[in-house]
Amino acid sequence: MQTNTATLNLLLLFVGLSLNAASVNAEESKAEKGKAVFAQCAGCHMVGPDAEHRFGPTLNGITGKPIASAEGYDYSEVFKTAASDGMAWSVETLDDFLKAPMEYLPGTKMAYPGLADESARANVISYLATFDAEVLIAESKVEESNVAEPAVKEKAPVILAKDVEVPTHGVLHLGRAAHVEEISAWDIDIRPDGTGLPEGGGLATDGAEIYDAQCASCHGVFGEGEGRWPILAGGFDTLTDDRPEKTIGSYWPYLSTVYDYVRRAMPFGNARSLSDDDVYALTAYLLYLNDLVDEDFELTSANFASIKLPNEDNFISDSRIEEPTFVSEGEPCMTDCIAGLAQVVQRARVLDVTPDTEDDEAGAGLD
Amino acid sequence: MTNNNHDATSISATESVVSESETIESGASNTVVKKHTRRDLIKKSLTLGAAAGGSLLGSRALASIPDPLITEVQNWNRYLGEGVDARPYGSPSQFESDAVRRDVAWLTADPKSSVNFTPLHKLEGIITPNGLCFERHHGGIAEIAPQDHRLMINGLVDTPLVFTMEDLKRFPRHNQVYFLECAANTGMEWRGSQLNGCQFTHGMVHNVMYTGIKLKDVLAEAGVQLKGKWLLPEGADPSHMTRSIPIEKAMDDCMLVFAMNGEALRPEQGYPLRLVVPGWEGNMWVKWLRRIEVGDQPWHQREETSKYTDLLADGRARRFTWTMDVKSVITNPSPQAPITHGRGRTVLSGLAWSGHGHVKGVDVSVDGGRNWHKARIDGPSLSKSVHRFYYEFDWDGSELFLQSRAIDEKRHIQPTKNALREARGENSIYHNNGIQTWHIRPDGSAENVEIS
Repeated sequence: MQTNTATLNLLLLFVGLSLNAASVNAEESKAEKGKAVFAQCAGCHMVGPDAEHRFGPTLNGITGKPIASAEGYDYSEVFKTAASDGMAWSVETLDDFLKAPMEYLPGTKMAYPGLADESARANVISYLATFDAEVLIAESKVEESNVAEPAVKEKAPVILAKDVEVPTHGVLHLGRAAHVEEISAWDIDIRPDGTGLPEGGGLATDGAEIYDAQCASCHGVFGEGEGRWPILAGGFDTLTDDRPEKTIGSYWPYLSTVYDYVRRAMPFGNARSLSDDDVYALTAYLLYLNDLVDEDFELTSANFASIKLPNEDNFISDSRIEEPTFVSEGEPCMTDCIAGLAQVVQRARVLDVTPDTEDDEAGAGLD
Repeated sequence: MTNNNHDATSISATESVVSESETIESGASNTVVKKHTRRDLIKKSLTLGAAAGGSLLGSRALASIPDPLITEVQNWNRYLGEGVDARPYGSPSQFESDAVRRDVAWLTADPKSSVNFTPLHKLEGIITPNGLCFERHHGGIAEIAPQDHRLMINGLVDTPLVFTMEDLKRFPRHNQVYFLECAANTGMEWRGSQLNGCQFTHGMVHNVMYTGIKLKDVLAEAGVQLKGKWLLPEGADPSHMTRSIPIEKAMDDCMLVFAMNGEALRPEQGYPLRLVVPGWEGNMWVKWLRRIEVGDQPWHQREETSKYTDLLADGRARRFTWTMDVKSVITNPSPQAPITHGRGRTVLSGLAWSGHGHVKGVDVSVDGGRNWHKARIDGPSLSKSVHRFYYEFDWDGSELFLQSRAIDEKRHIQPTKNALREARGENSIYHNNGIQTWHIRPDGSAENVEIS
């Protein structure tokens, strides 16, 4: 975020006139440290001039603002109530909240266990203070006015169509050869045999810390899933139940899928932000949450392919064509196909979960 | 219609509701209809049949007095309307505001990874308008400037390549109409009737004319090596969506498309580039397509292991169930589109499709599958495209159990839901192509039911 330092300097220019250089530096270094702390918030919250709401609201200018006042964000009920009670965010209330969010405002969507370290809380609050909403607006106006001055364009030399170089590959000679760096930037897929895995490894214990900070708010502290977010652990021997729990341990056939998917798409709203070793550590921890390895397990590129998930052998190829309904027996029946009159045996209205009807909150979902 | 019912959400079923409980004031230059929430109206319309005093059919006596809509000059007859350019990109009539995609909030955890549904009961013909094609995203809508988009081909090829959109538009272009159906369409109905409306039970399907290029032509530029048997298309959105596709399908009919129904792809449908995999699960039609890798084995990605595998009653699960089987649904009448005209001539209409090719026939039953009548297929019959069917009949006003049953060119016959449950159990989620039943009551209202 290249504008942070500039924003910080600008802010300090406004508020720091009466401060001496040492205290300015101290504030700056607190904010710098807070930036590192904020990495665990960034999965759900954005700050800065391009910030948008994610799973959590934007936090620009939060200090001093009334609670639940970021426009366009759907706050939890407890936040709305606090807002109607006139609560506002100060350094003190932010500190209290961040210590244990779910205790301070029970029912908050922010299923985050809390920051126990007092100085970490102070640092992240300092960091948030650098994103003063008015300063950001002032700055974006400065940027706009800079943009308004058009650079003097040099006249580009005229290239004739006949002089354009045509590649020699393929049939129609379209496209260009890909650079090795380009392929390695995008080619991140992993196969069950381990093809594609980067060198490295990670400990389940390290994965636990990353998981608690970046994953537990949706997937639950034990992988049990919050709300309708996916359940990641448990569910063994439930696949023939009325309501099977399809988890990594109970259902997924291959561990490579866990590594591949976490690396390409998680955390939700902050994809590609984890290091390769972070993903090893998380994958190891997910194995631990599923009781498949011990707490001190280390997953590495070397031992990865040797780990089998329990449900691998229960996947079969498409055999729909063998079902009785696919076996064609000439023309379908046209008259007197079923004896007796049709009787209703089940109706949608009994369990009315159609949107915009009385009880539309609780249907059987798509998992 | 005897009033100017501006709020199109008040499906015609609510006509009597409006006239009995709402005030309609005719001003000098415009007509004002008291606003009500969609929730109120649909709630009313859905409870109408059962509620004492409410009537879906209203007063249906033959007109005994001259119609003022004819005998009096109307505002739109007298006052000038908007000129050209008032609507640089035109929108549907204000009276069609009910023809919109809708979601089912309880289905998923977050709207950024969710789905909404095509209002099938509001559509005619076979083409789905671009703004009504259902959406399914896994990381929200990626907004990509076409000049910033790249397509990479890598893996088991002679020359790994990068294409710009301009490069891709220099391949020979093709125009094809295909349906796209989410494998989970009708997935909420495995355990029994749950949602009242074909939009929700069957609305994860759309049918579009695509303009684009053949995937095999693009692969030929890179030169697929002999051991290249599988492809992995990947999206540029935050989910980096991936699926394994066998090379035979790519060489058969897959397309890379940049236009739908004559205009550029919509952002929510993968602008600027989407993979088209005709007749196969919608999840494989990767949007915002940025890369295709060639390999010798499938990758077993999240969307083909954890999801889009079909759990059977015995605990085993089918994978790589790509083809969407033969299916049909009656769109009118249906719970969101009840019969409002009373007995007499009635038009029944619906859609049928098959991932195996053409639909060869559709049968319609009004007595819950006891007897069947051949429906009339009208409009183009194209392979792996929806077909429009009609059945016109004289309704005597008695209760009906409407069903449709499609048969495709492979002679696959659309099964009953119970036959599917018998073969697979109730935990499959995906590939529910069972026969749908709508119960039409004597007041014309319709409900999603299962019958004996």
